[in-house]
Amino acid sequence: MLSPRLGRIGRITTLLLVAAAFAYPLLAFLAVAFRHDDGLASTGPTLDNAADNWQSVLAFNDGVFLSWLTNSIIVASTGSLIAVVAALPAGYALARLRFRGRRLLRFLTLLTMVIPNTVLVIPIYLEVSAVGAVNNLWVVGLLMGFFPFGVYLAYIHFKTTLPNQIVESARLDGLTDVQTFFKIALPISKQAVALVGFFSFVANWTNYFLPLVLLPLSNSTTVSVGLQQLVSSSPLFDPTNAAGLDVRLYAPHLALATLVTTLPVLIVFVLAQRYLVRGQTLGAVKG
Amino acid sequence: MTQQVLVRHRSRTRASSAPAVRRVRARKGHAAAVLVAPYVLLLLVGGLIPTGYAVVKSLQNEAETGFGGLSSYQRVAGDFRFVETFANVALVLCVWMPLLLTAAVVLALLVDASPRRFGASMRFVYYLPGAFAGIANFMLWLFLLNPGQSPVDFLWHGFGYTSLNEVAQPGNLPFIIAAMLFFQGTGTWVVVLCGGLNGIPDELLEAAKMDGATAWGVVWSVKLPMIRPWLGYMTLLNLAYGFQLFLEPQVLGQVTHGLISPQWTPNQLSFTYAYQILDTPAAAAMSVILLLVTLGLGLLVVHRSRLFQDER
Repeated sequence: MLSPRLGRIGRITTLLLVAAAFAYPLLAFLAVAFRHDDGLASTGPTLDNAADNWQSVLAFNDGVFLSWLTNSIIVASTGSLIAVVAALPAGYALARLRFRGRRLLRFLTLLTMVIPNTVLVIPIYLEVSAVGAVNNLWVVGLLMGFFPFGVYLAYIHFKTTLPNQIVESARLDGLTDVQTFFKIALPISKQAVALVGFFSFVANWTNYFLPLVLLPLSNSTTVSVGLQQLVSSSPLFDPTNAAGLDVRLYAPHLALATLVTTLPVLIVFVLAQRYLVRGQTLGAVKG
Repeated sequence: MTQQVLVRHRSRTRASSAPAVRRVRARKGHAAAVLVAPYVLLLLVGGLIPTGYAVVKSLQNEAETGFGGLSSYQRVAGDFRFVETFANVALVLCVWMPLLLTAAVVLALLVDASPRRFGASMRFVYYLPGAFAGIANFMLWLFLLNPGQSPVDFLWHGFGYTSLNEVAQPGNLPFIIAAMLFFQGTGTWVVVLCGGLNGIPDELLEAAKMDGATAWGVVWSVKLPMIRPWLGYMTLLNLAYGFQLFLEPQVLGQVTHGLISPQWTPNQLSFTYAYQILDTPAAAAMSVILLLVTLGLGLLVVHRSRLFQDER
């Protein structure tokens, strides 16, 4: 058996080594964004270089990068808002109410949760084009609002952290089930809202296939598809095609553009972090 | 408080008559309908209707003029790339899943055993690459894999590789993709598992310690069983993720100019049928096959990890 002290040193060393292994590639990538590279020479990292690189990214196709970012924000926020609004009440009903079709709904949630979402992309495209709604950001947002994982998270949340006696006493106080959800269950479910909102936002933001197929016009798509357009028009990977472009993007430009696209996810994580890890709803039972 | 509730509950049950019970049930059904309605609508539009459509489409003949039985399934299964795509995914999963499960559990337990501030900052660092999911992670790896630019170029030189095309040769692909997935996904699962570990009531841990359990004993007999549903879920979601692989081999194939087969994964094969061969029934059949495979795996894990189990 290890002594506690040795165990402690081992634990801290392991955690720090792993952290270094995760952080090193990220830091190196970050440094690239601050370099200068015009295909001929490359210089070390400075702030001025980053500013120049950013101007080049903005200049690419008349500022299409900003349109991509805006589109991503619209689509991802709409999607996660709808996901939260739909998932919380559904998760509550599945966990706490008995109704006809409950087993079926639970089964279907599980079923659609494990279906890889790309499997449905082609059929969804046919469905959407049948009603003439291709190239519509709001339709993409709506489709992203279907987030069975969120329902599962809400279900687990209400099942494990909402004590039965609270629900029962609300019922005895004359509240209907819908009122109980809004007045009792929802106010102590910040953590579930954060979890569902966070996971769906990240999933929407990084979704590649749905926008690729449903937003086929190059300037009306989202930034995840846009990044790939940047790569494929870079002289690094396609010298012949890129020779005809006004703005040529090299590794530093690509790295900077990539880093900018990850900022919203980081911001959402920081906002949601304290809810993600604290089992604070337990307080309602213990207190 | 609990006792009071129970007493009140009992007295009420005794007083209620049969019609009243029926009324309550009807009202409950109504309430449930209100609460699940938005989700059910989304489930139809985003899940069931497209799934049904894929099944119907897959049963059409190649010209899409009428019923074709299982002919599109025969076309897909007879494709020389069919088995290969599944073998490729299986290879990636064999490398990736054990690494992911072990690392996520070990790291979550270590973070959980650490003082608050230190643990939280470690957890944050592990999560950071998660912000680089999908195409952003791919961009990062494009840079890591290129011996000319990579901060780990010593590694590539150690293998004797001097160009991206040598690093990304087909034989290395399962390892490269497993590494990409590991890098982007592990931290998220550490966060989820830490949440699960945090949810364990202190009384339970203290009781185990009072009973003389060692740190390992607590991990083995209290912590692991408590996060078991999450482990099951994690396995399930990641297996499914493995079968939907598309982006990484696809874009890597593009930038290495045909070094990697454009039909490396089942999804890429499905995509090829839909957009290049323009055989929609075959693409739909491939989707249905993928769906059945992932569903079978999923149900197995759900069953074993007792996910969605009715405790009441």
